Amino acid sequence: MDNSKKNPQISKKNRTSINQTVEFSPEIDRFIKARQQGTRQWILAHLFHKSNKYFIFIVLMTTILSANLSSASLVVLGMTISELMEGNDSNLIFYVIIILILGVSAPILRLFNFLVRETLAQRLERDVRKEFFTNLLGKSQSFHDKQKIGEVMARATDDVRMLNFMVSPALSLIIESFTSLIIPLIYIALFFPPQLLLAPLIFIILFLFALRSYIRKITPVTGILRFSFGRMNATLTETLNGIEVVKSSTQELAEMKKYVDKAMNYRNAYIKQGHIQAKYLPLLFFALSVTLGLTHAIYLYYQGVLNIGQIIAYVGLVSLLRFPTFISIFVFAIIRLAVTGAQRLLDFMNQETEIDENLEGIEKIIEGNIKFENVSFSYSKRSKPILKNLSFEVKAGQTIAIVGTTGSGKTTLTKLISRLYDVDEGKILVDNLDIRNYALESLRSQISYIEQDVFLFSTSVFENITFGRTSSMDDVEMVAKEAQAHGFISKLPNGYYSEVGERGVQLSGGERQRIAIARAFLSDPRILILDDSTSAIDSATEDKIQKAIRNILKNRTTILITHRLSQIRWADLIIVLKRGEIVAKGTHEELLKTSEEYRKIFVKKFDVDLDYLLKKCEEEL
Amino acid sequence: MWAGLEAEEYDRKYKDKYLVNRIVSYFRPYRREMSIVIFFLTLSAFTYAAIPIIISIAVTNLAINREPIFLVLIIISIFSLNFLAWIFNYFRQRFTAMVVGDIVLDLRRDANKAVLNHDLSFFDRNPIGKIVSRMNTDSRDFGQTVDLTMQVISSFFIMAILLIVMCFINLFLAMIFMISIPLFFIVALLFRKIARHKTLLGQRALASVNAYVKESFSGIQIAKTFRQESKLYEKFNEVNNQSYNVNLRKGYVLFTIFPVLSVIMGVLLTLIVYFGGIYVSGGQISVGELYLFLQSLQMLFFPLLVIAAFWPQLQAGLAASERIFALIDTPPAVIQNNDIKPEKFKGKIEFRNLTFQYEDQKGVFDNFSLTIQPGESLAIVGHTGAGKSSLAKLLARFYEFQGGDILIDGKSIRDFDLSEYRKQIGIIPQIPFLWSGTIKSNISYGFNNATRDDINEALNQTGGYGWVEELSKGLITKVGERGNLLSMGQRQLVVFARTLLENPSILILDEATASVDPFTETRIQDALEKTIKGRTSIIIAHRLWTVRHVDRIIVLDHGKIVEQGNHDELMAKGGKYAELYNTYFRHQSLEYIEKMKEKKLA
Repeated sequence: MDNSKKNPQISKKNRTSINQTVEFSPEIDRFIKARQQGTRQWILAHLFHKSNKYFIFIVLMTTILSANLSSASLVVLGMTISELMEGNDSNLIFYVIIILILGVSAPILRLFNFLVRETLAQRLERDVRKEFFTNLLGKSQSFHDKQKIGEVMARATDDVRMLNFMVSPALSLIIESFTSLIIPLIYIALFFPPQLLLAPLIFIILFLFALRSYIRKITPVTGILRFSFGRMNATLTETLNGIEVVKSSTQELAEMKKYVDKAMNYRNAYIKQGHIQAKYLPLLFFALSVTLGLTHAIYLYYQGVLNIGQIIAYVGLVSLLRFPTFISIFVFAIIRLAVTGAQRLLDFMNQETEIDENLEGIEKIIEGNIKFENVSFSYSKRSKPILKNLSFEVKAGQTIAIVGTTGSGKTTLTKLISRLYDVDEGKILVDNLDIRNYALESLRSQISYIEQDVFLFSTSVFENITFGRTSSMDDVEMVAKEAQAHGFISKLPNGYYSEVGERGVQLSGGERQRIAIARAFLSDPRILILDDSTSAIDSATEDKIQKAIRNILKNRTTILITHRLSQIRWADLIIVLKRGEIVAKGTHEELLKTSEEYRKIFVKKFDVDLDYLLKKCEEEL
Repeated sequence: MWAGLEAEEYDRKYKDKYLVNRIVSYFRPYRREMSIVIFFLTLSAFTYAAIPIIISIAVTNLAINREPIFLVLIIISIFSLNFLAWIFNYFRQRFTAMVVGDIVLDLRRDANKAVLNHDLSFFDRNPIGKIVSRMNTDSRDFGQTVDLTMQVISSFFIMAILLIVMCFINLFLAMIFMISIPLFFIVALLFRKIARHKTLLGQRALASVNAYVKESFSGIQIAKTFRQESKLYEKFNEVNNQSYNVNLRKGYVLFTIFPVLSVIMGVLLTLIVYFGGIYVSGGQISVGELYLFLQSLQMLFFPLLVIAAFWPQLQAGLAASERIFALIDTPPAVIQNNDIKPEKFKGKIEFRNLTFQYEDQKGVFDNFSLTIQPGESLAIVGHTGAGKSSLAKLLARFYEFQGGDILIDGKSIRDFDLSEYRKQIGIIPQIPFLWSGTIKSNISYGFNNATRDDINEALNQTGGYGWVEELSKGLITKVGERGNLLSMGQRQLVVFARTLLENPSILILDEATASVDPFTETRIQDALEKTIKGRTSIIIAHRLWTVRHVDRIIVLDHGKIVEQGNHDELMAKGGKYAELYNTYFRHQSLEYIEKMKEKKLA
């Protein structure tokens, strides 16, 4: 990865030459076509990718060879016994040595086979996971907004792992089953009268039919079993999470019944599965084929065609069919899981990201004037509109506060500005130019977003602040001071080099927010969107947060989604959103006069009347 | 498989004998089914063992006996033995599945009952994920072990029968057989040690990949905003390659065991052929008998492989049962002296010389006394750790106190029937918990016969129905897991409505510290105002509005009341409360908000 520092350039070049909708691709993606062709093609493309095909070839050859060794060992055994029957034990040592060589070399060959197979399986897992990760990195933010992190994780680990299991052991077991079905037959054909093929051939035909019907029956039941286990887990987890509520509403019995119901469903599915497994017919067919084979062989013995040693060897060869009979059930289950897993991976990877990049777009430094003209938006054609006919203007350098309850469309509104989504109707202008005319990169690089739950990477504070822009310690300290973060950072055990996040120092919401503000200071965007829903339970923290926000909104256009009355009180423009519509708009004073709901916030909270509030406003002037 | 093996607090070591007795007691209700299982298990073992013996007799006699009747007899008996074996096995498996299914269900039911009866200190100590996995996954593993044990026992039966027959045929050859058995186990156990270590490493490596994927996509927005995808990509490659290397090594080790066991078998085969060959040519044994040895080798190898491969799983199954029993056996800590079913409380609460501490921790209350009059609203303020929420939790009987007493309407709370008592106490926790259902189902939780009117009435009382109507589907809007599709404030309104529907005599409210949008905040104030009216209310206050509206404020410090009175009195006094006001409530005042502009200009 020596060239990784040049990545931005590489990625840009790739974007134009390979796939225009990918935001990031560090190297040439070899599986684009296969992914679009379908699950099977994609899996095959991976299996035969580069040197992988040689691995498969080796696995195939060694399996065939070791199946030959087992069969040959039985033939030699037959010969030994035949000669012993004739009272000839002069070759005994010779035969025993051959049996020993065969008996020991088969496992050694198998070991080699396992190692190669395992390497292939692990490589596949590694490569698919890398492909998946890289692909997701290249997806647009609108894609990521829709994903639950747990889902992504489940796919990146469990589903990818299924592909590993598909190779080790499933793939080699298939080859092995297949060879153990075929090789004994070949040996029978070579060393025995051909009519002895009758019993094993009948078996194979019956086996394939019975197996198919078994799989058809068991598949839905295992599905139900897995599903009901999941439900049982989910129910119990929820009950225990809400244990305080359960206890205070004395619902223990009802909750227990809920759980036992789910456990009962699991039990029923389990028993049903047991019944179907007990009825696994191929085992019966196998036993009967051995009987048939034996009868046939004895018949031929009476005819004088076979000797006793051959009977024993023949029965031994037919008995080799036991392995595929047993193993097939598991193999099919694993393959099915792998294909489902691959499908789930492709579901993600094949999703188009709907940004419509304007390659000839304008690149320029913006002032920060934002204008919404009759903007309407919904997430999909069928769903209800989230935003309805919005119009307002923010002058460059102004601060606007958006207020409204959850679901009123506040966050969606801000996402439209950086084109995480495109408007359905109307338009958004930045510096009097439709945002769709800008080059996406140019537009986005001048807009920063500080989200409600600030995310910090589990690295040092320093690296978190400089995430977007490599800077010196002096610069970092300076922005941290502006963001009112220097104080608490210097008190951390290792100062700016303290680890944060899951494994490191636990920071409060207010502290994380101030680190994010410092990060934004460094990147110095023209437009800042700040989802400020951080709560401060003590006044000192509140003072700091207020000061940090005041510093960052200087000299740039700022859109605040805020719960803080002081921010609302002093914003240049306040927009009250309700169900996607602007129900009130103006300054604090204007809203006190025009909006009943807005007035109630202050009147009710502070037990004062309107006149008093208006008087306060006038005092300011 | 071996991750997270560290012992938990409610773990106890059972004596093996006790453990076995305990397991057996779960089988007791299914005696009839179990005897059927054992019956068929024995039968199928005998038939399976008989087949190679019959074939061996056939082979031995082929050369001598050419009677067609003999042949037909042999064929028919092999045919019917095979058929019967399958039938017997069918019944065994069928009944085993039934017994295992039922026992696992019983285990789960018992564990669930035990867990739900614990007080909250149990849940403080034990992470929910672990409890869930004990109840569901461990019981499933236990069930699998039972199933597996059946198969192993059946294989042992077959082996034992064959070994006895072999001993009669030729003691020396039988001895070669028996010597190999411990060898199998030694190899398998040796392997287990190494495999265990490697598996653990492999899991850790995978876990770090998992953690990194989580981190990357949690922070994807920042990476995208700053165009730093390559940073994530490089680090990912590092952990992914590490996982590859470690897991590859793990795979190498794990898959070596089967070839090694096969080598043992290959050597064994050679020995049998060699010595058997000598005996055959010496005339001590017949070819048919040699055949029996060779066949037995195949039959021996299979169960040994099963046992060797599943030995860890067998042990894990035993350990799993031990863990579930430990869960069931942990005694609940709530003390109940009597089961008086109270009339509607008037609501007088008296804490009398109360002593309380969380387990193994510093005392929270020592000789604490406080009396609250019926219908009074009381706010508790104080720094973190002053004992504010402990007081509320003790009253809710979520924890047990060690000394003194809590009396309601003059009676000790330990004398009341727990569930009747809790029905009269309404609790609104700081972080509201909603069930993943609709708003309606959450409000009516615990009141299955609540009508739509009741629900509307409850909502109306919390200060309005309006916000629910603003949602896409009104009352039947889905709230998501833990209610996360609603905002904190909205969740709180739902909990208020639920509490009002319950109509408790005593209300305990831990005010939220999370920030709430101003419109919802106004509604919460309305709801609070209506909810505390006419009932004894204890509020752990974080809101300026609340402290200004309650009848009495007590200031708690290290489990002691240091000041009490109403807001204005206490502010005038200029003591501890005034100090707390400056720390926690000042920024919520109108003066503060109005002053911000000056600072902005400055």
